[in-house]
Amino acid sequence: MSKLGNVVESVEKYNQFVVDQVKRARTDKDFGRDLVGRWNDIKAKIPTSRTPTGIPLPRLALPEIDEAGEIARYLFGEGLPGEFPYLNGAYREMYLEPIREVESLEKSGGAKKSAAKKIAPAEEPTRLFSGLMLAEDTNERFHFLTAHQRTHRLSTAFDGPTLYGIDSDADGVFGKIGEGGVAIDTVEDMVRLYDGFDLGSANFSASMTISGPAPIIMAMYIAAAKRRFGPSVVPKLRGTVQADIFKEVQAQNETIFPIEPSLRFLTDMVEFTSREMPRWYPISISGYHIGEAGSTPVQQAAYTLSNGFAYAEMFAARGIPVDQFGPRLSFFLDCGLDVEYIALARVSRRIWAIGMRDVFGAGPKAQLYKLHTQTSGRSLIAAEFKNNLTRTAAELMLAYMNATNSCHSNSADEPFTTPSEEWIRLAAHGQAILLEESGIFKHTMNMLSGSPGMKAVEHAVEAAILEEFREIERLGGVLSAVEERYQRSQIQNAAHRYEQQIYDGTRPIIALNKYRNGDDGAPEVKLVRTPRKKQQLQVDRLTKFKKKNAEKSKRALDKLAAVAESGKNCFPALLDAVEACSLGQITGRLQEVVGRFRPMV
Amino acid sequence: MGSPIRVLTAVPICDGHDSAINTINLEFIRHGIEVVYLGYHRPVGDIVRAAIQEDVRAIGISSYNGGHIEFFAEVVDLLRKKGADDIKVFGGGGGTITHDDAKLMRKKGVDEIFFAGTSLEDMVKFVHERYGKPRAKRVKPKSGDQELAHKLTEIEDAKGKIRNPQSTIRNTKVIGFTGPGGAGKTTLIDELVLRFLNKDKKSRVAILSHDPSVIGEGALLGDRATMINSQNDRVFMRSMATRGQAGGLSPATKDCLALLAQSKFDYVIIETVGTGQEAMPFQQNGIVDQTVLVMNPDYGSRLQLQKIVMLDLADIVVVNKSDLQRAKTAHTEIEQRLEQNRRKQRLLDTVAKRHRDAGVDRLFDLISGNAKDRRNGGRNEQARKRGRVS
Repeated sequence: MSKLGNVVESVEKYNQFVVDQVKRARTDKDFGRDLVGRWNDIKAKIPTSRTPTGIPLPRLALPEIDEAGEIARYLFGEGLPGEFPYLNGAYREMYLEPIREVESLEKSGGAKKSAAKKIAPAEEPTRLFSGLMLAEDTNERFHFLTAHQRTHRLSTAFDGPTLYGIDSDADGVFGKIGEGGVAIDTVEDMVRLYDGFDLGSANFSASMTISGPAPIIMAMYIAAAKRRFGPSVVPKLRGTVQADIFKEVQAQNETIFPIEPSLRFLTDMVEFTSREMPRWYPISISGYHIGEAGSTPVQQAAYTLSNGFAYAEMFAARGIPVDQFGPRLSFFLDCGLDVEYIALARVSRRIWAIGMRDVFGAGPKAQLYKLHTQTSGRSLIAAEFKNNLTRTAAELMLAYMNATNSCHSNSADEPFTTPSEEWIRLAAHGQAILLEESGIFKHTMNMLSGSPGMKAVEHAVEAAILEEFREIERLGGVLSAVEERYQRSQIQNAAHRYEQQIYDGTRPIIALNKYRNGDDGAPEVKLVRTPRKKQQLQVDRLTKFKKKNAEKSKRALDKLAAVAESGKNCFPALLDAVEACSLGQITGRLQEVVGRFRPMV
Repeated sequence: MGSPIRVLTAVPICDGHDSAINTINLEFIRHGIEVVYLGYHRPVGDIVRAAIQEDVRAIGISSYNGGHIEFFAEVVDLLRKKGADDIKVFGGGGGTITHDDAKLMRKKGVDEIFFAGTSLEDMVKFVHERYGKPRAKRVKPKSGDQELAHKLTEIEDAKGKIRNPQSTIRNTKVIGFTGPGGAGKTTLIDELVLRFLNKDKKSRVAILSHDPSVIGEGALLGDRATMINSQNDRVFMRSMATRGQAGGLSPATKDCLALLAQSKFDYVIIETVGTGQEAMPFQQNGIVDQTVLVMNPDYGSRLQLQKIVMLDLADIVVVNKSDLQRAKTAHTEIEQRLEQNRRKQRLLDTVAKRHRDAGVDRLFDLISGNAKDRRNGGRNEQARKRGRVS
């Protein structure tokens, strides 16, 4: 049995525990009285916000209950925001505006002044995905995006050749250079990519969306940071690299080594970063691409969680302590318009916390399901594309109702081009309007949590996720199920059904199969394309780099291959190799040792 | 009724978006088209080579990751260079292909570009109308592979009316692979091909692979998508649909195989469709020198083994996926079953999915070692002994 079976048991057991606590609160008088006392205490300590119009609101809203059983059901079953099992949020205050000093003085007569001051201003949850043309072009875009932000949170998209671990001078990829993301071949490109940003600063973090060659790209990032700031910067680096092999094999098809060596290189990297880079997230366990490939919301949540538990099992088996790697895991979900999304991340957060605590023995920090959400790209269409603003706005609302830790809102022009500045700006403003302009999320936590409908969705979604876990467990756990193409065929089947529903009209898509005005012409939008001159420049730079490092790279590759053969941790050798070798050279050499990925059809 | 239209579909290099092409493939098949599916992340060279060897009418490319103008043009140009511009190119993709792009792509020789929102019906109709008519007179082949591909098409489309003259001249060793679906035949063959290519830097291998189809319907010929090592200039591969014939092979297999066996290959590998217990696909075919039965450890109860005819006939039995828990039991049970036959059958365990698997190495030695014997005059010796040579 894999640990996934234990996770199912632990959630069932925990749910029974909640039922037992409710019963006990109603039968055991002392226990009941304590709970009511604790409840009243919690309520009394909630500070007050004042809206711009002047009405006072509690910074945390709680259900209007005073009976011990119901209190037990809430505190054990859901938990306050920031408390186990974290249904309502990983942290206590999420997107709330910092308390203004005057208000807290008013409230508590000065006694709580220092406490209020301690609340550090949260980072803006906005993190926009970007990458285009060459490193310097993406760098310019990064500076544009973060111009008005206190914190610089960059999210990097790579072009096709980079995602597949091949060089820009490889046969037949010329037209793909810098398309759909930035072209990175060498550590020198990586230096250019984040030029002008203070990589060691507490206000900077970089996210890199790449999985197949993630350990190599990660090594390049570290090498680039060292070149700019010296070796002492390494422990200060903050950010994420996606590195999610399972979802690549299940959905996104960007895998370059066979599954087992891919997982080994990943674990090599995690072993290194969780020890040397305590602020880095070496893996982003991603449902987004599973969702985009056509899964149902439940499949997305179930496969993402089960992949997460499989990674945890793997890292623990390597001997990395759960409280060391656990806090460095993060998650990434898609948020579309189906009703499940009203609670998908809430339920996921709860299952993760229970599984990590009760199966893996994780402490509080390793129990948190820290989540980045992106609105659904698949839900956007080219026909009458301005409707996409509304779709994205609704999805943003759902994402924040789930208390996501950060969020990316898609540009309305995404169905037909690399997002242009105009629509990126509108997408970013969508978030600012929701979080900063509107009062929905900034005054009160739990503003929209726990409605009867939401609870109904939570129960249905949790049951369905556990059923998926049982099926995967029946197949021998995540790795076996992946090798048998279980998740892949489930996703493909769901995708097919989705298309069918659009086709037969049971799934209305406005302006496509309903209220269509007949105008399907491509919108007149300026396309961002990488000019040939730039593509040639990338190839020329690479040629120069390879020539310059011809001797050194040969030695580094031999050393890397020897380590790979030996079964030892490859990451230190990768750190050396990227100084002199290109991405494609490294991939090619490692493939000689471990083989190439054989696609699943 | 004419022969089914054969098209090849693929997703370009550095592009993993295979959801649309999967749907389109299924729709084509439902409407009588035979689809050779090459998979995603495919370079131009692989696509053109496969299209020529498979002698398809057209190539359909689904592109989502940009760079389509260059990519489609490179495919058209390479076809032209190889003297294969009777193979046409069409395609489509997400919104990243604009109407202006499409105009430019058509000018560069692409037949048609479909945009997001095109109905599947329209695509099927297009393929039938544009590529459904019988071929005009064939152009003179520019390469040996192309000539061979044309001849194979002639044999396949003639439905037995053309017989390939049986010749005794043989340059090649023919190895037949069979076994139940899901045992890993395709992966195993691809791993062997890698070893053939590495061992002798000049040798050439031909593969004749089969997928099932019923009369009047299409077929998904998908082996190429997983055979990453076999997409190589030194490998000639042809995918055939069984077109209604039971038993694991197509009506044209025998003649196509004879033609391949007379051609300049060092090895010819024939792979059947996933077969049932009663199948004996190579029995009446004297061309096959050596037969390999590939088994999955999960065959059910021991009793099932008694019913598998190929266990009596195969020269080599392979238990693939021998990393599975049941593999050891399977090995023991099959070993006992083979002992009943009192023939020198070989039993091997492999994990074909594993790179450089020692079991696959042993299988390779067994197959390539025999090749030497044969060249010394022992052609078809094993098959002859069993009275299988017609």
